[in-house]
Amino acid sequence: MLVDLLKLSWAGIKHRRLRSWLTMIGIFIGIAAVVSLVGLGEGLRVAITSQFGFLGTDSLTVTAVSPGFGPPGQGAVNPLKDDLMKKIESIQGVNTAYARIVESALLEYNDNQRMSYVGSVPEGHDRKSFETMLNLNIETGRLLRDSDKAKVVLGNRYSTEDIFGKPVEVGKEVLINGEPFIVIGILEKKGSFIVDGSILMNEQDAKELYNDDKTVDLIIVKVESEALVPQVQENVEKLLRKERGVKVGEEDFQVQTPAKALESLNQTLFAIQLFVYIIATISLVVGGIGIMNTMYTAVLERTREIGIMKAIGARNSMIFLLFFLESGFIGLVGGIIGTGLGFSLSHGLAFLARQAGFRLIQASVSPLLIFGSLAFSFSLGTIFGVLPALRAAKMQPVEALRG
Amino acid sequence: MKHELLKYAVFNILHRKMRSLLTVISIMIGIMAVFALVSFGLGIQRYVNEVANESGADKLFLQGKGNGAMGDTFYISRDTLEVVKKVKGVELAVGQYIKFAKLKYKDQVKYHYIMGSDPKENDFVQESFGIDIVKGRALKSGELGKVVVGYNYLSADKVFKRPLYVGEKIYINDAPFEIVGFVSEIGNPDDDANIYLTDSGMELLYPEVKDKFSFVMAKAEDGVDPTILADYVNEKVRKHLGEEEGKETFEVQSFSDAIKTFTTIIDIINVVLVLIALVSVIVASVNIMNTMYTAVLERTKEIGVMKSIGARNSDIRDIFLIESGIIGLTGGIIGIILGYVVASTGGSIAAAAGFSSLQPIFPFSLILGCALFSLMIGMVSGIFPAIQASRQRPVEALRYE
Repeated sequence: MLVDLLKLSWAGIKHRRLRSWLTMIGIFIGIAAVVSLVGLGEGLRVAITSQFGFLGTDSLTVTAVSPGFGPPGQGAVNPLKDDLMKKIESIQGVNTAYARIVESALLEYNDNQRMSYVGSVPEGHDRKSFETMLNLNIETGRLLRDSDKAKVVLGNRYSTEDIFGKPVEVGKEVLINGEPFIVIGILEKKGSFIVDGSILMNEQDAKELYNDDKTVDLIIVKVESEALVPQVQENVEKLLRKERGVKVGEEDFQVQTPAKALESLNQTLFAIQLFVYIIATISLVVGGIGIMNTMYTAVLERTREIGIMKAIGARNSMIFLLFFLESGFIGLVGGIIGTGLGFSLSHGLAFLARQAGFRLIQASVSPLLIFGSLAFSFSLGTIFGVLPALRAAKMQPVEALRG
Repeated sequence: MKHELLKYAVFNILHRKMRSLLTVISIMIGIMAVFALVSFGLGIQRYVNEVANESGADKLFLQGKGNGAMGDTFYISRDTLEVVKKVKGVELAVGQYIKFAKLKYKDQVKYHYIMGSDPKENDFVQESFGIDIVKGRALKSGELGKVVVGYNYLSADKVFKRPLYVGEKIYINDAPFEIVGFVSEIGNPDDDANIYLTDSGMELLYPEVKDKFSFVMAKAEDGVDPTILADYVNEKVRKHLGEEEGKETFEVQSFSDAIKTFTTIIDIINVVLVLIALVSVIVASVNIMNTMYTAVLERTKEIGVMKSIGARNSDIRDIFLIESGIIGLTGGIIGIILGYVVASTGGSIAAAAGFSSLQPIFPFSLILGCALFSLMIGMVSGIFPAIQASRQRPVEALRYE
């Protein structure tokens, strides 16, 4: 029964070849636009958030309230002091707490300059913990040790990319804010611009370079287990309120899980994506109206046919289903072509963008997106087919036969 | 003759009410989206140009190169400021301190930027930021515990829960300051929450940044091109700091050049959005084509009759072209009206959210352009169906059932 209906619908579409094609073109242009934009947008979002996604789930970061541009802690109203670590470590459930200094720096090599970030590496037993957390591996040379003085480890991009006219090598001297440092290691490529572009040095070196041995930009608190994170977070907040003499609701600091820190970034990106999708979806609505139009015409043309079917016993529901399915088909076929086109379009555009130097851009067309857009195009067809199908179903057999 | 063709076209469109309506709606939606987006793009462009030309025409600024918060890791020192002041062609120069600070009013705490500069150059600074004193007075030299605050402090719930008044106290980093004035609206929530101090007030609050300015603004003398002056200032400061060319730790830019970079980014974003919106116009054009093919098919017999009583191919073609053109134009006009409503609503929402600089404009050229564009889309979509109609052989057409 259903098979017959499907066959009949298909025959109807094939019969009006040109018109069906044009209607489908409308849908597939829309679907292709949406799929390619979602694919690119999603890929870009994943790429951006993955830049920050190395912090793990069993840790907390403490920062002072700051304008939010540049590295954490910069421009802070009331910077964090380095006596806090001992106090945080005494909180139950805290494995270890260490400070990080993150400052912008002018890196000079081969008479070329580049703005970058200096990040400090904690000393003593926290070094291992830090290296594990960021999953730092060395490509050439070695990682820093406690005894190192005026030594740095550089991110991968300085050794591979043409930044200073020639790649930086282990053993060479670079100038950071005018001070000489020896490069002792190059990190493995991480694909994250933060890690790949960073300059790592021992905490003491960073303090001397920035002439400040009291304030720190960021405190990382390693919690014993993930389950303890919320409780430890609360206790750290309580401690900081007491230390800094602020009341609840007036905090000039933030204690965040890495996930939480990512959330606000995600929200901003999502808002932008949503706006673009809404504009792209307009074309689908227009395509849907095209389907509706085609179906109304089809109903009109086949009035006599409908009359005959009704006369030989077809029920209203059957006539409805016939046109409803036909309309859904148009949507689905348009969707299949559109998804294929959108898939290639997003990968093609991402490829072109990478060629042009935007290395971050990746297309990400997930199975969910493909399945979703197919389901969406089918439902788009059926939704816009409801009214025409109802009109067909409600026709009086006698009138229809006469028409 | 043309007049009759027009009448005939309108008759036919009205005859197929539902189908025409749907087709008009589809082009209408597309034009609406394009119109609204372009009106915003133009509005932003005009705003930026106004800022660049009116307040920025004779100004340049000097800032340290770096990432992150201004004034913290890079700054311009007072002796550099003195060098800038002495450069030939510079009428005056002023250093600005900027800090991110904790503000407290009653028991509410907020974090915003505070800025400080020499009150002697108040006029120049206000002109540069595009602000005036709207309430109270400006700061005077040497005043320590006094502040002028941004426009948003005048309203409830924008920064603090209730509006502030001249003479009230607010605490900056826990030190009390008296409000002596309010400045006019800049047009975005961040800048309208700024607090302005005197240079000496800032130095008292932040002794560690004394003589370390976040940036320096300078005014070119009458008739001096700020872009050329920027290069000249760059050279002088570079020599003063003993830096090599191409390795400066600072940069000098004229206001208009800096703003133009910003405009380019906005333009690119806008073009991308309009292109995406144009996809819906393309789909609408396919719909028109579809409707017209159907119309040609339905009226095959009619075409045969017209031809047999002497209508030329070109007449038949025109009939259908006019018809599709009218569909396009009607959709376009309604789309423009709806786009106007959408954009104005969007503008008021933006203004209510504090972005009064984000306003659409509707120049006549935009309205005319959209109308012509929709007419063109209609006619272009109708070309193939119209040609098909005009080429039908009268005998075949008459025979058609």
